[in-house]
Formats: sequence, structure tokens, C-alpha cells
Amino acid sequence: MKVIEVKDLAKTYYSPFGNIEAVKGISFEVEEGEIFGFLGPNGAGKSTTIMMLTTLLKPTRGTAKILGYDIVHQPNQVRQLIGYVSQDLTVDDTLTGWENMYLQGRFYHLPKEVIKERAEELLKLLKIYDRAKDKAETYSGGMRKKLDIAMGLIHRPKILFLDEPTLGLDVQTRQDIWEYVQKIRKENKMTIFLTTHYMEEADSLCDRIAIIDKGEIKALDTPKNLKNSIGGDLIFLTIEDNSTEKLERFIKRIKSLDPVKNVSSKDSKCNIVASNAESLIPVIFSIAFEIDINITSITMKKPSLDDVYLAYTGREFRDEDGSREDSMRMRRLLRRTR
Amino acid sequence: MKKLIYDTYSVMWRELKHWLDQKVRILVTIFQPLIWLALMGNVMSKLTDNPFSRQAFGGANYLSFMTPGIIVMTSLFGGIFGGISVVWDRRWGYLHKMLASPISRTAIPLGKMLATAIQGTFQSLIIIIIATLFGVEFSTGIPGIITIILLAACFNFTMAGLSIAIASRIKTMEVLTAVINFLTMPLMFSSSAMFPIQVMPDWLATIARFNPITYVVNPLRTLVISGWEMGDLIKGFLYITFLALSMLFIARHEFNRSIA
Repeated sequence: MKVIEVKDLAKTYYSPFGNIEAVKGISFEVEEGEIFGFLGPNGAGKSTTIMMLTTLLKPTRGTAKILGYDIVHQPNQVRQLIGYVSQDLTVDDTLTGWENMYLQGRFYHLPKEVIKERAEELLKLLKIYDRAKDKAETYSGGMRKKLDIAMGLIHRPKILFLDEPTLGLDVQTRQDIWEYVQKIRKENKMTIFLTTHYMEEADSLCDRIAIIDKGEIKALDTPKNLKNSIGGDLIFLTIEDNSTEKLERFIKRIKSLDPVKNVSSKDSKCNIVASNAESLIPVIFSIAFEIDINITSITMKKPSLDDVYLAYTGREFRDEDGSREDSMRMRRLLRRTR
Repeated sequence: MKKLIYDTYSVMWRELKHWLDQKVRILVTIFQPLIWLALMGNVMSKLTDNPFSRQAFGGANYLSFMTPGIIVMTSLFGGIFGGISVVWDRRWGYLHKMLASPISRTAIPLGKMLATAIQGTFQSLIIIIIATLFGVEFSTGIPGIITIILLAACFNFTMAGLSIAIASRIKTMEVLTAVINFLTMPLMFSSSAMFPIQVMPDWLATIARFNPITYVVNPLRTLVISGWEMGDLIKGFLYITFLALSMLFIARHEFNRSIA
């Protein structure tokens, strides 16, 4: 069953200084129970898309249906069925953990007993129950984010929208959060729509990933297929430079090998794209021995989503200025006082 | 309708929790009228010593004259800062959290306005207690005091609405505070809250006659000084109710516009 159906969804921000096309008509579908990842740099249109799907922004063009309800014309039905955890830390610092949960439950019109029962269950699961009666301002950053996520789960949403949920958190907290969210997802057959900066996270969690850049979806598939789509494994060689003629012969021989798809070389470095790189390495060595050139180093790499991302957007993911900016913003959020 | 009341209570509950959390703010609300009454009251009490000016002040001493003024002023200040929480909620993203839920959109401004009015009730009560300790006599007794508090709360509610309407357009804290300060002082001093219209220069008296605050202060003053003068009171009551309802409508409209 398709729980999210997006057709030609677009958002343009109008301003006197020029209009910004944040999302340029994207279409995709999400199946029930899936973890669907939105991957892209800052300003790619991830948050704008999430805000449209959660009824917080009106699209300029196009439609989207959440469990059959139109996001523009039936926003209240949509709101009842979805949970939203924004990239900002939106717990109320002056309230206790329990009060935050209570208020959130009230926003979804749950009876008090149900709120109490579920709040206890969620806070226990996320291991913040023993601090539930303390004010959220005394919590650590990780605890606040856990509370934030618990709040998003109190009405047992069918679809949970997580906008950069683990931004700036330490590895342990990130793992904890995913363990619990996965547990709840399996118990409730929940669908998760996720945006993230963390490649490994997207890779290991998502059933399918959409790579979004400059408001457009550049690629959409399972992480495995995406990785396969860029050609295969990578082998990086460094060669002791003794003669160009020998090097050219060496590259020619490698190119003629069946599993090799592409070879590029510059100075003494040589990059090979090939399928099944493990079994290719011994062959490379024997050719080098025959031609009599010295290989000083060899690295083999299975393609990561980083490489996929690079291939589709032409940009190195980690080089984005964003990551630094984001951690600054995260620190600002955590430092905040009222 | 049932949903609106339920949601309004949720929003109000949160605002009042914030308020009760700020112990210093509550202390200030107690000390501020104390300072006003002790300082202004003593400095200005000579004003009402001669019979002519006593007549201009409605035959009352300056403290009795000023107490309703202070109640309205406190309501004005308390109410007009009610919109600030909208800016905070927007900045920290809590507003989006509320808006992503099925909560009634009207409940957000309404709940904030009601919370402000409840705070105002508490403040008015404190002012009245302090004024009584300073020797001010309320000619209409306890029922009059209750009416005063209700009218002041209504005015507080109105000003909170104005503030939310402004905060829906002005989204940064710095500009909002500047605009609010720009509004409150002239509003206050061009009204009959501090001085009777009779002693004002003509131009100021003209402004004062059109100033909504004058219309709020007057029925309160009647209740303190003259007693149950029903004609004045009903006029004042209708005026404040009209003001409160139209401001609720405007605040709701502006708020909804800002989240669309």
C-alpha cells in the first residue's frame, strides 16, 4: 500500500530580491512500513518538502496524498495520522519531560489515561523516565532530542517525519535513538520519512533513498542499487614512476581485463572502476610483475553512498560547508536559555 | 466548539506554566504598583490640595484618581507583551510542532490571550489590595472591585490580541519590542489614565478623547470614585467588550495569515 503519493510537488518562495525555487516539481511514492530517506546538502529542498508533507507549508504547485488524504484540502485528517520531529529541538524547556508529553498528547486530543500510559512507555523505552519530573532545561542535548522524538510518537502516528533527527548527536545517542525508533516502527508498522546528513545512517537504515539536489530528485532507489548504479568497486593504485611507456602498457593491459569498466590515471596514481575488485587485485599484481613496475600502495573500496552522492550531484558530500554550520546551530540550540 | 475550548485550555495551560515559572516576574508585578502608588501618589498628592483641582480630579484625592489609571496601565503593559511568546515559539520551532498537530488554529492566539488576561486579573487584584492599604476607598465595594477586575482583564485580553496581531507580522524580537515600546508610552500619556482631561492643553485633550484607553479608564474611575453610574458603566462595558471581540478577530486573522 502506498502511504505517501507525491505528484509534481513544487514550492517557490517569492521575495522582492528574487524568487527561490526551493522544490522544483518532485514526484515519488512511499510504501507502507518503509524507511524512506531524503539525502541532500543544505538548501537542497529537504526541509521544504517535509514541511509541505506535514501541512506546515502550502505547495506552490502539485499535490501530495498522505494515506489518501490531500495535504492541502484535508490537512486535519493528515495531521492526525502523522508525527513530525523537526530539525530544531522543539521541547519546551520550562516544562518537565512529563509535562511536555502531556501537552503533546493533548494537542492530539488523547484521553489523559492514554497519555499517561504511553508517555510512561515511551520515556522508559528512551531511558529518560527517571528524569521525567525534571525540567527539560536540565537535560543534556541527547536527552532533549530523545524527549522530542518521544513527543512525536505519543499519538502512534502511521507515518513519522524525522527531519535530521540525529544532527550533532554523539554516536552512542544516535545508535540508541535508532534502536528505539526501529523497535516502535516494527511494533506499530510505522512508515518513516527521514532526511539526514549522515551517509552511513541513510545507508544502513533506509529501504530506499532519494538523492535531492537543488530542488530536484537526482536518483531514487535502494542503497544497494544506487551503489551498483555508479559502476562497481573502486581500486586506487600508486605506482613508482619509472617510465611512462611502461605505465601506458600497464594501463592498457588493465583496461583489456573483462571486469574492468573504467581506468583513469594521473601522474603516478591510477583509479580503476571494476566489478568484483577482490579477485582483480591478484591479477593486477601479476600484470605489474610482468611489465616490471612497482606498485607502492593499493586500496580497494566498495562504493559508499558518498560516492553515489558525488556521482549524482557532482559534489563531495563531506565538503559541504553545511556540516560545520549545522554543528554550530546545534550548539546554539543546546545552549539556549529562556 | 468543544475542540476549540479543549485546545484553548492546552495553550493557556502552557502559557500559565511559563508565567508561574518566572518567580522574579511575579515579584515585579507586586512591587511595580507599590512603587507607582507610593511615589506618584505622594509626589502628586499636593495637586488635589486646592479645591479647584480637586474638582478636576472628580472630587477625589490623587491616589483614588490614579488607582484605576495604574490598573489600566498595568493591563496595557501586561497585555501588550503577550505576543512575544508567539515570536519565541516561532523562533524555537515550537509553533511548528503545534501546527503539525490537529490543534485548532484559533486556539493558539485565543489561549495566549486568555492566559494574559488571567495574569492581568492577578495583577489588578494586587494593585487593589495595595491601594486599599494606602487608604483608597472603593465607593462600589466588593461588587465594584470584581467589576473593575473583570473589565481590566478584558482590556488585558484586548491588548494581548493587538500584540499577537503585531507579532504575526513582525517576526523578530528586537523590532517587536521596539514597536511595542513606541506604542505604549504615547498611548498611556495621551489618555486620562494619569491626569484628568480637564487639566490637559486643548490639543492633548482632543487626542485623549479619541484614545481607547480613556474609554477603559473612565468606567473604572467611575466605579472607584463616584459609584454605580449605570449609564457610564454600560457604555464603558459595551466599549470594552466590542474592543476585546474585534481584537480577537483581528489577532486570529493576522495569526492565520502568518501561518498560511
